[in-house]
Amino acid sequence: MRPILLQGHERSLTQIKFNNEGDLLFSCSKDHIINVWFSHNGERLGTYDGHNGTVWTIDVDSQSKYLISGSADNTLRLWSVSTGKCLFTWEFPTAVKRVHFSDDDEQVVCITEQRMGHQGAIRVFKINRDGDGTNQSPDPLHMFHPIGSKATVCAFSYTPNIIITGHESGKVALFDVSTGNEILNNERAHMDVVTDMQLSVDASYFITSSKDKTARLHDTKTLKVLKTFPTETPLNSAALSPTRPYVLLGGGQEAMQVTTTSLRQGKFETRFWHKVFEEEVGRVKGHFGPINTIAVHPAGTCYASGGEDGFVRVHHFDDTYYRAKPYGDLEIDD
Amino acid sequence: MSTTIGKTSWADDVDELEHTEYTEPNGVRVIVEFAINDDGKKVKITRKIKRTLQKTVVEHTVAERKKWAKFGAERGKEAGPDRATTTVGENVALKLSAGNKSNEPDPTPEQSLKTELAKAGAGKVICRLCKGDHFTAKCPYKDSLAGLETTDAPPADDHLPSSLADPSTSTGTGGKYVPPSMRTRGPGESMRSGPGGGGPGGNRDDLPTLRVTNISEDTAEPDLRELFGAFGRVARVYVGRDRETGAGKGFAFVSFEERSCAQRAIEKVNGKGYDNLILGVQWSQPRPDGR
Repeated sequence: MRPILLQGHERSLTQIKFNNEGDLLFSCSKDHIINVWFSHNGERLGTYDGHNGTVWTIDVDSQSKYLISGSADNTLRLWSVSTGKCLFTWEFPTAVKRVHFSDDDEQVVCITEQRMGHQGAIRVFKINRDGDGTNQSPDPLHMFHPIGSKATVCAFSYTPNIIITGHESGKVALFDVSTGNEILNNERAHMDVVTDMQLSVDASYFITSSKDKTARLHDTKTLKVLKTFPTETPLNSAALSPTRPYVLLGGGQEAMQVTTTSLRQGKFETRFWHKVFEEEVGRVKGHFGPINTIAVHPAGTCYASGGEDGFVRVHHFDDTYYRAKPYGDLEIDD
Repeated sequence: MSTTIGKTSWADDVDELEHTEYTEPNGVRVIVEFAINDDGKKVKITRKIKRTLQKTVVEHTVAERKKWAKFGAERGKEAGPDRATTTVGENVALKLSAGNKSNEPDPTPEQSLKTELAKAGAGKVICRLCKGDHFTAKCPYKDSLAGLETTDAPPADDHLPSSLADPSTSTGTGGKYVPPSMRTRGPGESMRSGPGGGGPGGNRDDLPTLRVTNISEDTAEPDLRELFGAFGRVARVYVGRDRETGAGKGFAFVSFEERSCAQRAIEKVNGKGYDNLILGVQWSQPRPDGR
């Protein structure tokens, strides 16, 4: 396969996301810009300009109407996907590290950083979808400060008002946003900071990646670790293939150590692991730095990876990928 | 204006080069151009372009989105990927196979160099000493086999029968000259005429002597001594030279102390390449006139 290289950023990527149909790919980076691309040919549709700091996180609703972004300029912004206009801005005392749309597109959860005497907070905003989207409530629907280790990643679960969080200590927990109570936790889910979390299609399980060099599959209801994928480098991102029994892991040497290690040592490859057998089945090279974020097309036909090197590489799988049967005729049903 | 039209400047030359375009019946567009390359030579460039239309069925919303006007930094730009932001990378392979890749050792620089050489059509890496699949410099038998690049067996000289006199008494290089009459020699040795296709000539020491032909002009005695030293002790090396210029005439005589060593040298070196030439090694024939 020949990857499409997207050079829309001047600094390292922080997150990339496909929309619901997979035709649009959103990317954000430390250079304050959010880009949107057509995934099939890599054409840039436009940019969302307005942030004044590192854009840490983005998410798009299921109708590809609104885009939400969180930045180090202490703002959360709502954008119109089609025009690139900023519709609303929420301001906080600290940076926004993670956002996620709920499945009904009605709510947005965001994590703000614990810094400068401010506690880390998780807020849920109601998105008013009537009108042109500029009429939003500046006050959160729910807000709470999770006790203990600060949260780094979060996502809505399928149960209303319950969110899944990953923490700096390696903890994975379920929170009730209306009360702010921790419903369930797994303190020993990871040994180090949780760097990414992506849900399966039906949200019954999710994958987390961590700096402790492992990625793990967790059951959403019980938070039990189902599968563990141990690698040899710190991981920055993990994604699930929706159609094949693979998980995609990306990571590499820490950015500050990159200059002192060789390309090969750095392991800047996307690794394909078999979801069930917990074995690595393939690797894709390409990035010149650690992979910061990976996203898989919702139809499973392509995947994109964003690296510390500022590139997004979009890989459309070729025939050999679909024909490959690394374990013979054994087929795994989800 | 009329003056400029009639004038042919160097800049107009390029335009005079032919340029034809046509479409073949099978729909392949052919563009034939002539250009002057860096060496000043005229070259013909034929480009064939085949366009295939790929149709995909997409959801209605997806088709709608394709019509969206570009915005932000892309505002007003034409449809289609911009080369400034979108490029196609080199082909990457994704081989899906069972078995844990993390347990596989990393290929060493040597291994990757070998595979690169093999890919470049240079063939497999074979040790010149022991024929193993490593570089000659990395040969584990380097110490025992070095000195002769064309042999594939160690020069075993322990169990060979000693047919000649004690080596210490021979006229080795650097050795003190000993008159033939003073040399210890088995009875009748000096008169011996070697069996098996001509032994050493009777003119010099009666040592088993090889005639080496097709050596290069600048091959000197030490080179041959090094080459044949691998088979056993070399008693004497003589390179035929032109009397006036001193350049080699393409032949040499190499005398061994032991016949078996000389025999093995013939087997190994005869027909092998040395200095881009293929050596011929035979027993030295005594001159017909008996000198």
